[in-house]
Amino acid sequence: MAELKKFLVRRMLTFIPTIIGITLIVFAIAYLIPADPARAWAGGEKASQKAIELVKERYHLNEPWYDQYIFLITGLIKNEIIDPRTSNPVMDDVGKRFPVTFQLALFAYFFVLAIGIPLGLISALKRDTAIDTFVRIFALIGVSTPVFWLGYILIYIFFVNIRIINLAGVPPSPEIVITHVPVIDSLITGNFELFRQHVARFWLPGFVLGFMGAGVVARFVRNSFLEAISGDYIEFLKAKGVPKLRVYRHAMKNSLVPIITVLGLQFGVLLSGAPITETVFGLPGIGLYAVFSIGTLDFPAIVAVTLLFALVYVIANLIVDIFYAVIDPRVRY
Amino acid sequence: MSQDEYYRGILDRISDAFIGLFVYLISTIRKGWREKNRSRIAEWKLMFYALNRSPPGVIGLFLVTIFVFLGIFGPLIAPYKYNYFPIFENSKTYLSPPGEFFVLGADHFGRDLLSLLLQGARTSLVISIIVILLGVPAGIILGLIAGYFGGKIDELIMRITDMFLAFPPLILAIAFAAVLPDRISYLINTYPPLQQFLLWLFALERTEGGNLSRLLAVMIAMAVVWWPGYARITRGSTLTEREALYVESARAIGLPSSKIMLRHILPNIIGPILVYVTLDFGTVVLTEAGLSFLGLGATPPIADWGRIVYDGTQFFPNAWWLIIFPGFIVFLDVLGWNLLGDALRDVLDPKLRRSIEFKVKKVKKSKTKDMEIKEVEHE
Repeated sequence: MAELKKFLVRRMLTFIPTIIGITLIVFAIAYLIPADPARAWAGGEKASQKAIELVKERYHLNEPWYDQYIFLITGLIKNEIIDPRTSNPVMDDVGKRFPVTFQLALFAYFFVLAIGIPLGLISALKRDTAIDTFVRIFALIGVSTPVFWLGYILIYIFFVNIRIINLAGVPPSPEIVITHVPVIDSLITGNFELFRQHVARFWLPGFVLGFMGAGVVARFVRNSFLEAISGDYIEFLKAKGVPKLRVYRHAMKNSLVPIITVLGLQFGVLLSGAPITETVFGLPGIGLYAVFSIGTLDFPAIVAVTLLFALVYVIANLIVDIFYAVIDPRVRY
Repeated sequence: MSQDEYYRGILDRISDAFIGLFVYLISTIRKGWREKNRSRIAEWKLMFYALNRSPPGVIGLFLVTIFVFLGIFGPLIAPYKYNYFPIFENSKTYLSPPGEFFVLGADHFGRDLLSLLLQGARTSLVISIIVILLGVPAGIILGLIAGYFGGKIDELIMRITDMFLAFPPLILAIAFAAVLPDRISYLINTYPPLQQFLLWLFALERTEGGNLSRLLAVMIAMAVVWWPGYARITRGSTLTEREALYVESARAIGLPSSKIMLRHILPNIIGPILVYVTLDFGTVVLTEAGLSFLGLGATPPIADWGRIVYDGTQFFPNAWWLIIFPGFIVFLDVLGWNLLGDALRDVLDPKLRRSIEFKVKKVKKSKTKDMEIKEVEHE
């Protein structure tokens, strides 16, 4: 147990330099890479001299780079950086849109798990049969399909032809806010009508986003299940005369451990796919916000979104690592 | 002999001929190369035999060959130029459906979609090759240095790598691609040879010179995102290779570190890296299409698969061909690279190669036996 604690502390400590690194890269993106940040922020080549001066003044662009860096980071933490396009604090804008993206990722995760794990188990049990080949090809097709293409095909089927989904806006959030994720909140508070609306709006985008990862997870589940079932303890269980299903349950437990890693990695894939999925389905999440900000050269927004995505990703990986160490006593670094 | 084996025999002969041609070309330049590398050539042949024995691999190789071919010759065989706007001559070509004026229909400038797709093949191929050429060597070299020297250098390089790996890949690429064009347009405008070279690469006309910075920005952005993965893989395999006896002896006879790394360690770890490169070719094509779908990178009239979809979404679902066809092309291209990469993983496994060597020899022997028997029968 003491060793576990030591590992957790060490893992937490390596978290700090990673965060600092992230802020450095984000700073480089906004302040160092544009040849003339003030001109770019003020609207590119056509910007008036007055606007450029104003931007320089407001965002401390006349000061040395380390002052600018400190200004940016403290500004983001204290929520004092004002977005030039909307005149709101930029973190407010991003925070308002984050639940939509998070909810989208949750739905996508649901599909990744609901398709990936059963398919993987089936293909492991029916190894080297047609089903196994099918899962292998399904995984390859999953990673090869452009998200936007699949999205529009499904919109064509379900929206244009069958008309069973809607693509406008987002259903309202329930009045009692607990987790800030509307679909969970409405379920907890027992508002099933709202829950149904949220599911109706999000299931298709979630499926499109999760489609990519489902095949990968299926392949991974298959391999790790096959590895677990070739262990000596399985032979022992069989020799003892344990029924087949109970044997599988033991193998399942052990094979699910490495799967957690791949689920952590999948989270990054889902976040990466979020901007495209949100653009296709018109979901007002932070991905769509980032795409709009690029179009208008809204640098503070790009910075904030990039930082937020990175933070979420890093925290997800941290949770996976900790989870991994806690549930698997064999893993110690 | 079954049908399968018959086709396999043809494939084997094609691949033998291909390698024969390649070896002939090299040996005309460097005399005695063939004699010196006999075992290497035999190994190459075996790799192709192994590939020929996996149907997905053959399909993948076929698709990849087609797309590389289209990438090189697409703009030349396209029926119309990408910057020819028929809408000015005939307003009916505006979003004309497939079969009316053009085979695959037209976009909102009346341009032939087929020509755009062929031109887009070049854009996609050039971008993916440049991203791989920028990102992979950088990652490999940094990984080799980190793994070989270890200690503080390792720590430093890996911390920087971790910084980049802390971002979801597409998000970082989006951010870089959004802010880079500003600086790059200075570079391109002040250095005309680079502009000329890029225009030639993308098969564009001089009028598009101003739009190049956005394309170059996408390439650099993706290269920045791509190298950390390779640094990490290379470092991992270098760490295990470093302890091997041949590295020890190379060090003992006083070879410089750079030579040990590049000439001795690298050839031993290149196999898995090659598989990743093949798979990543597909991922780069997909990511590039995604970026241009979000409005980054190519701007009209430059033809780009993702961009065609981006422009086509305004007319969805009426102009469905602007979304279905480019998306399908991207899908096929990426699928080809993924199938090939998946098969390569098996091909590069020496154990499998040995078993195939055994099988091929057996087949050849039984063939000669058959022939002998037939000859005997004839007599």
